[in-house]
Amino acid sequence: MAQLVGPLRKELADSLSSCRVLVVGAGGIGCELLKNLVLTGFKNIEVIDLDTIDVSNLNRQFLFQKKHVGKSKAQVAKESVLRFCPSANITAYHDSIMNPDYNVEFFRNFQLVMNALDNRAARNHVNRMCLAADIPLIESGTAGYLGQVTVIKKGQTECYECQPKPTQKTFPGCTIRNTPSEPIHCIVWAKYLFNQLFGEEDADQEVSPDTADPEVAWNPADAAARATASNKDGDIKRVSTKEWARSTGYDPVKLFNKVQLFKDDIMYLLTMDKLWKKRKAPLPLDWTEIHQLESSQEEAFGTGLKDQQVLGVQGYAQLFHRSVETLRSQLIEKGEGAELVWDKDDPPAMDFVTAAANLRMNVFSMNMKSRFDVKSMAGNIIPAIATTNAVIAGLIVLEALKTLNSDFDQCRTVNLQCCSFHVGVIGLVQILTLAVFAFDCLRNVFPVIGPSVQVSMKTTSVSNNNKFLSDFGIRNGSRLQADDFLQDYTLLVNLIHSEELEKDVEFEVVGDAPDKAPVSSVPEEGKNIANGNKDSAQPSTSSKAAAEDDDVLIVDSDEEPSSSTMETSLESSNRKRKHHDADTDDAASKRKRLDQQPADDDEDIIALD
Amino acid sequence: MIDTIEKEDNIISEEEAAQYDRQIRLWGLDAQKRLRGSRVLLVGLRGLGAEVAKNLILAGVKGLTLLDHEQVTEESRRAQFLIPVDADGQNQAQASLERAQLLNPMVEVKVDTDAVESKPDDFFFQFDAVCLTRCSKDLMVRVDQLCASRNIKVFCGDVYGYHGYMFSDLGQEHHYVEEKPKVVKGSNEANDGPEAKKGKVDPNETTMVKKTISFCSLKEALEVDWTNEKAKSSLKRTPADYFLLQVLLKFRTDKGRDPQPDSFAEDSQLFLQIRDDVLETMGLSSELLPNTFVSYCFSEMAPVCAVVGGVLGQELVKALSQRDAPHRNFFFFDGLKGSGVVDYFGSK
Repeated sequence: MAQLVGPLRKELADSLSSCRVLVVGAGGIGCELLKNLVLTGFKNIEVIDLDTIDVSNLNRQFLFQKKHVGKSKAQVAKESVLRFCPSANITAYHDSIMNPDYNVEFFRNFQLVMNALDNRAARNHVNRMCLAADIPLIESGTAGYLGQVTVIKKGQTECYECQPKPTQKTFPGCTIRNTPSEPIHCIVWAKYLFNQLFGEEDADQEVSPDTADPEVAWNPADAAARATASNKDGDIKRVSTKEWARSTGYDPVKLFNKVQLFKDDIMYLLTMDKLWKKRKAPLPLDWTEIHQLESSQEEAFGTGLKDQQVLGVQGYAQLFHRSVETLRSQLIEKGEGAELVWDKDDPPAMDFVTAAANLRMNVFSMNMKSRFDVKSMAGNIIPAIATTNAVIAGLIVLEALKTLNSDFDQCRTVNLQCCSFHVGVIGLVQILTLAVFAFDCLRNVFPVIGPSVQVSMKTTSVSNNNKFLSDFGIRNGSRLQADDFLQDYTLLVNLIHSEELEKDVEFEVVGDAPDKAPVSSVPEEGKNIANGNKDSAQPSTSSKAAAEDDDVLIVDSDEEPSSSTMETSLESSNRKRKHHDADTDDAASKRKRLDQQPADDDEDIIALD
Repeated sequence: MIDTIEKEDNIISEEEAAQYDRQIRLWGLDAQKRLRGSRVLLVGLRGLGAEVAKNLILAGVKGLTLLDHEQVTEESRRAQFLIPVDADGQNQAQASLERAQLLNPMVEVKVDTDAVESKPDDFFFQFDAVCLTRCSKDLMVRVDQLCASRNIKVFCGDVYGYHGYMFSDLGQEHHYVEEKPKVVKGSNEANDGPEAKKGKVDPNETTMVKKTISFCSLKEALEVDWTNEKAKSSLKRTPADYFLLQVLLKFRTDKGRDPQPDSFAEDSQLFLQIRDDVLETMGLSSELLPNTFVSYCFSEMAPVCAVVGGVLGQELVKALSQRDAPHRNFFFFDGLKGSGVVDYFGSK
């Protein structure tokens, strides 16, 4: 008869205690996962997280207490776990997993890697490293009441990037600048305004009226009139927002009335009369007029949270005034050429966006929103609770046990051929030239017949062949797509930077080069997975060129993780999710249905098969 | 049950707002206030109990009483994360107290070291919900009966090796709300073009819908008559875990304990025998529970405790906050298959 160690058969218990595993992330899922791993009998665990503890984490990241706020998550998690399991061998890294120190060799130390992440960039990166190192990866994510777990094993299952993931929702410039119709448009505008005034100016984050809006459709006869009008504002438009603001000493009233804001620019928008034929026209605000209004409609404190109050126009005008003054002093303190970075947890920054967004909502006749709601949208906050993470982390460990037994057909994954093949450990990207890459590597190693190289819309000329890959912005972790139209063959190549190649060896291929690669998947309405994207609204960086012959395209480059707290976001704001009953079929699973907004597809998110 | 919120609990402090921010954004302020006004009894502090305790304390209930008369053993210490390593010989609930309290100082965590069987009826009446783990069938049926009449929510749950279950009885009339998206009315003007935007409709608006649902007692749920035709025809769709539960409850009653790894051989034998007896009494075949089940029913698998404890914890939160549709009335989890099933047993 079998021998048991606790609930486990002895052989399993023994293999667990000698196994080495890596946990990437020590947050909501990470804390629960570490606890489950040690209680199950895993002894050798390494955990990595770049973040520090915040008070909003404490409702679910139970290894942390109030006294730990500000400290390293990985470090405190380790200490807390050791308190109830001192015999566990845990190594904690307060670091980013994307740091090149954690190279393929590092990953090869482990029998299993488990993600407990909240952003796509890191997930993509770990996916590629695990494929390169040929180590099984358990991927997971949670948001509100929903969650999911997937096993990824090279050669057996799809990888994380096989299915295209929905990209961050972005809004057209003219909607933000001219014709907002929803609060989120005003909030995005307010964040842009923050950057234009106090932070890093970005050409993609213009806040002034957009005269190039196709809807405006001025006819030539009007053009002259427009020219005059714009001369009046013309000065302002030629000077950058920040310079202008500085020239007025960031006077809040001037800001309010004049540029970019609630009076002059709105008046300018009004002259674009075609926009307002079928929309309600915006109503400009004047500072003085506002303060003559009856001291208003401020709701009684009531039983809500302070932040959940919705103020009146006066209230937000005052908030605007106060926050501009505070931010102005922050700028001055930082000195010459300083820039502020917007952070939802920095009260004046959050106040500014709340005020500016609400004033704009008022101008465009929308119901105003409380600071609580604005913070959700502006900060891409994903609601989170302990129980969802507890369930998912439990499932992760159960999948881990199957994985270690190599029971991949028991695992809940889709078994398809994977999308990518790996040219791993390519040499220094600063040294490897395009020519070597395209001709020597692609053509000789893979059956790619006559590669010509195209980077970002432009076919390269011969003179580019000697350019280094790094000149094109390719770096560690970049992924390239090589299409061979002669063969109807597409190859996805993951590049990994390494300084450890032998002399005279320019690159090394990791993984089996196939005879025929899978055709690149057509972006479809793939299953929406609650992976929780931390990435804030930014223009997509991928460039897809029209393809000719064989092309090498940069498919995506890893975005830098943004500095502030690890809050996740899904496409749009304020979705509420329901927890529904499961079916009672035999191989039944616990299904959680996503209640979508009317426009979106209704799709099941399946937590278990 | 909390129908009205006590006056002094009406204001959420800044500290609470900051700590509970991410969950208030999910289930709303009202739900959080109801939680804040609720007192819960948790019986049994092993693997499953510790998970439920953690989940409730983090959620922010008013008070949680940890009741357990058993002592810490090496096995119980290995199974849960609240008990310190040097606590062998202490009472299990008492040993768990410190770490439990540290999870959230805003919750009143208390300890009771009595055996739950010895508690008089009125002991249970001070709570808004009770959660029973590691209890005998008779005790659970008794507590369920006396609580249901007073609108006290009753939950039962256990983990046996890779398997786990949860049962709930929220009474004859459990009221709750569900948040549904508001239907956006079509525009009134026939001439509006596609770009007409009133600028006032917030597409994210939702509305709260009130609902009522009724539950049967544990006694009814466990005493389903399988000999009639209707029941027989539904057998195929019935999770085997329901019968496994019956067998394990009988084991617990007969042996006064659960199957133990130390006596694997002896307990396995006994398990198979009890399975035969129980299924025969119900007029069913032993094939419903193949022999292979045995070796996966010992002790408590930590990840299974996490899953069942998570579901159970969330059901308690739903019931106390009266928000969102509760599971009705069993949840079974099979850690080998990784499958969870919600099913209803009892009179309709």
